[in-house]
Amino acid sequence: LASRPGPLRPGRFLPRDPRVEAPYRLTPQLVFRIGILGFLTFAAFAVLFVRLWSLQVLSGDEFAVAAQNNQLRVEPDYAPRGPIKDRYGRTLVDVANATAVKITPAFLPKRGAYAKLRRLARILRVPLADITADIEKQKGNPAIPVTVKEAATFAEVAYLSELPGTEFPGLRIEETTVRKYPFGDLAAHVLGYVGEISPEQLKSKRGYELGDKIGQGGIEASFDKELRGRDGLLQYRVDSLGRPVSEIEQQELPVPGYAVRLTLDAKLQRAAQQAVIDGINRAQADDKWYARAGAIVALDPKDGAIRALASYPTFDPTVYIRRKKSDLAPLLDPEVAEAEIFPALNRALAGAYPPGSTFKPVTALAAMQEHILTPYNSLPCTGSYKVAGQTFNNWDPTANAPMTLPTALAQSCDTYFYQVGKAFYDLPPERKQPLQLWAAKFGFGKPTGIDVGPETSGLLPTIDWKRRTFTKETDPCCWEVDRLWKPGDSIQLAIGQKDMLASPLQMARFYALLANGGKLVTPHLVSAIEQTGASTGPTPNVPLVHRRYQPPAKELNIDPAAIEVIREGLYEATHSPLGTSSGVFGHFPIGVAGKTGTAEKEIDAGTYMRTEDTAWWCGWGPYGDNPELVVCAVIENGGFGGKVAAPAALQVFEEYFGIEATRVEAEEAD
Amino acid sequence: MVDYAATQRIATRPRARARESSYLRNLDWALLVAVGGIVAYGLWMISGITKDDVAGDPNYYVVRQAAYALIGVAGLFGMSLIDPGFWRKHARLVYGLLVVVLLLTPLFGTSVRNTRRWIDIGAFRFQPSEFGKLLLVIFLAAFLAERGKRIYERQTTTAAIGLAAVPVLLVFLQPDFGTAIVYTAILGAALFIAGTRWSQVSVLLVIGALVATFVLWIGPAIDVEVLKDYQRQRITGFMNPSRDPSGSTWNITQSITAVGAGGVRGRGPEGATQTNYDYLPEHATDFVFASTAEQRGFVGVTVLLLLYLLVIWRAIKVITLARDAFAAIAAGAIAFALLIQIFINVGMTIGMAPITGIPLPFVSVGGSSMVANLLAIGLLQAICVRRR
Repeated sequence: LASRPGPLRPGRFLPRDPRVEAPYRLTPQLVFRIGILGFLTFAAFAVLFVRLWSLQVLSGDEFAVAAQNNQLRVEPDYAPRGPIKDRYGRTLVDVANATAVKITPAFLPKRGAYAKLRRLARILRVPLADITADIEKQKGNPAIPVTVKEAATFAEVAYLSELPGTEFPGLRIEETTVRKYPFGDLAAHVLGYVGEISPEQLKSKRGYELGDKIGQGGIEASFDKELRGRDGLLQYRVDSLGRPVSEIEQQELPVPGYAVRLTLDAKLQRAAQQAVIDGINRAQADDKWYARAGAIVALDPKDGAIRALASYPTFDPTVYIRRKKSDLAPLLDPEVAEAEIFPALNRALAGAYPPGSTFKPVTALAAMQEHILTPYNSLPCTGSYKVAGQTFNNWDPTANAPMTLPTALAQSCDTYFYQVGKAFYDLPPERKQPLQLWAAKFGFGKPTGIDVGPETSGLLPTIDWKRRTFTKETDPCCWEVDRLWKPGDSIQLAIGQKDMLASPLQMARFYALLANGGKLVTPHLVSAIEQTGASTGPTPNVPLVHRRYQPPAKELNIDPAAIEVIREGLYEATHSPLGTSSGVFGHFPIGVAGKTGTAEKEIDAGTYMRTEDTAWWCGWGPYGDNPELVVCAVIENGGFGGKVAAPAALQVFEEYFGIEATRVEAEEAD
Repeated sequence: MVDYAATQRIATRPRARARESSYLRNLDWALLVAVGGIVAYGLWMISGITKDDVAGDPNYYVVRQAAYALIGVAGLFGMSLIDPGFWRKHARLVYGLLVVVLLLTPLFGTSVRNTRRWIDIGAFRFQPSEFGKLLLVIFLAAFLAERGKRIYERQTTTAAIGLAAVPVLLVFLQPDFGTAIVYTAILGAALFIAGTRWSQVSVLLVIGALVATFVLWIGPAIDVEVLKDYQRQRITGFMNPSRDPSGSTWNITQSITAVGAGGVRGRGPEGATQTNYDYLPEHATDFVFASTAEQRGFVGVTVLLLLYLLVIWRAIKVITLARDAFAAIAAGAIAFALLIQIFINVGMTIGMAPITGIPLPFVSVGGSSMVANLLAIGLLQAICVRRR
């Protein structure tokens, strides 16, 4: 029995107290504890061995693959995009080599990423907010590089290359190609632009991957499949910071995209764009302060090949390469776009305007086809026309003479066409609505089928449409009255007013029908898809055509005599002394026939609604059996068609025929 | 006179020879061979792992590591010549030295990645907490051995805990969580071998479990942060590494991938992409085992682990040979400290233990760890030589 030891001796630090020391023996108790220690040791090693066995022996192959994938990067080797050419082979859109700076968000440090990006933004002179917004947009895929700058300058690239790799982890400097626009803003709306694919597009389109570039409008979008070519594949190894540690291996070669050949004529396009601007300036000089926009369509009446498609305001397509948010705001930010009156909008296709008097030939043709109008019987043209207690005025209140159809067209007599409209209204219900039916046959109220988008259908008002549109919900005060088709609806439709809306392209298509003798063409911009590079065919300088586009024209079987009467009226309109645009076209050496239009439109002037006139002119030349060019010009809020739109159209004819007009006297005529 | 002198000489020679031969005979040769094997294997590994780490000098680390190994081996034999009783006699001084050095470390230490663990002396940078392991073993063994008869009393246990808590806290505050765990393991093993009551051992185990729960779980929930954020993330992250492969568990994921990719026969120093392309963090220190596993495969790590097993088995054997309580406790604490370091280090590379920054004994690049561990083996040899 061990004697119980006394208390420890106080006073010194940890005193040694011989009384509490026990003689040492290897007791069974100690042996047991040593045994436990030994057991723990074997257990611990057994656990480690089992785990290592499972990792290395059982799943070794899977982990070997994982380690391989860890450092293997497979990337697309982007194919150079095909060029876009005009009808004579002038390159409108080309590719240029550029150096892109990208950053992979996954490799940014957790702390201090913001400071790094700020520094990068300063070096590349890109707004920091742009970079962070792009990274935020791609939050779900941090391993895909985000483009910081599409085309960095040589100095910027040199500076970044000098920095140690740890300065900007995940930074990549890549040789790429960007779009080049040798003609500046020429046909910007038509050509469209190229941008990185958006998450929404990624969902709806197949065969694209995140980070791919895709056409974002115009030809670039509609013919993206042809233009983009086929991307190659690159493979290389990277270290944990994403820096390449091996040579880049080419797994697949990229195939360059096809060239797209347009029907456009670059010189005519330039003239058309200038004509719109000149038309706006002319309107402004005439105190039409709201005239800020316009469009011109020029096409070949034989097949619908578009020779010029101008829309103003326009934009510089290179802003999509520089990608500076403030430059892009007018195109992408709805509020800024509204303030700048939507420069991204292609008014020639997507602008819907009341056609006004340019619609009168539609009314006349329909009336003759329906035998409710005899062209050479006169109807009175008066200053105003009263029906059902309502008065409809002529644009020229002094008019007072009987007129045949050609004269009424030439002088654009509204009251003549009011009577035709009333005649349509008075038809028995079983005759349906022949004016609208004919207008629909002529392509109004539906898309033209042009190969770029978006385009508007316009609006062709019908009895059904009124009933659908005006309901208790949309028009609580007056829907019961508004939904009815009244005499005024037919009368106003006869002169292309009230609800009727058409795009300049729809209008041009109808005038092509007049010019070609009754065939409805499909307007189109692309004539062929061609092989790029040197052709190996029998004729080396002629590009190899991959596919050709010639949309067929539709024969509508209209009475040729009826068309002839309209043509005669439209020629008189440009040549007879009282014709609405005789002052503009009367002395032009090439016979041009056409119709002015001055369409009333309510516009929002900020605090109140005011009425402004949309100025139109549509027509063709040369007059006769071989028409070559239809031109339709619209100046928004420009006033009289004869004064503003007709001279703009003339400028296009001058360029096309290479002849300058000698005497031009624009007049205030509808 | 001449005869006398001659007889003297004749008399002394066999005795000296006997002393010599008993030293050599009593050395634990198996332990020496196993440790030597691990050191050599480690140097071979380090040369393959660090060949690209210093541009232009593929042997930078291996040369330094070999130099430290030589110093350590010299220290091992020096240590084996000293009677363990010497250390027991000066245990109080040893404790004072331990506390003073650990106090000075934060004051004069060099900060590396926000921790102050190192002290620079001339061209050398040494890590006091590594040597502290051995000092703590010596002190606790002496303290408990001197209280053989009172070992069952609660007072003794609390006194030992209180005295060990000072270095544990000092190391924890550096912060060096891994070494603090090792110190705690030394305390536990010393108490266990010294013969603390089973009831007290189980109470201590329960308290330890509760503290761990609080530090990792309840504490953060009520905003009491004992660990730094990164420490807790690494510790909790090992339980479900695939949750966030790019975040706090990146290290674990890459380490497991490296180990698994090694397969049965390894990918060799050239093919070990996880190591060579820096996917594996700290591939020469904390994660040296993962690099070894990647380069040498299951075969290679089996050799290494069996050598470790041999070392610990021999260390446990030494406990049974100890001539007194001090020697037994010291040997037991050293054996368990080695076991816990190996288990945590290897375990963390294969996702079985938290990432705490404990070096792999005799292999991880680092002079202090190498020398301190070899000195500990020297103490084991000293105990073994002066056996019962």
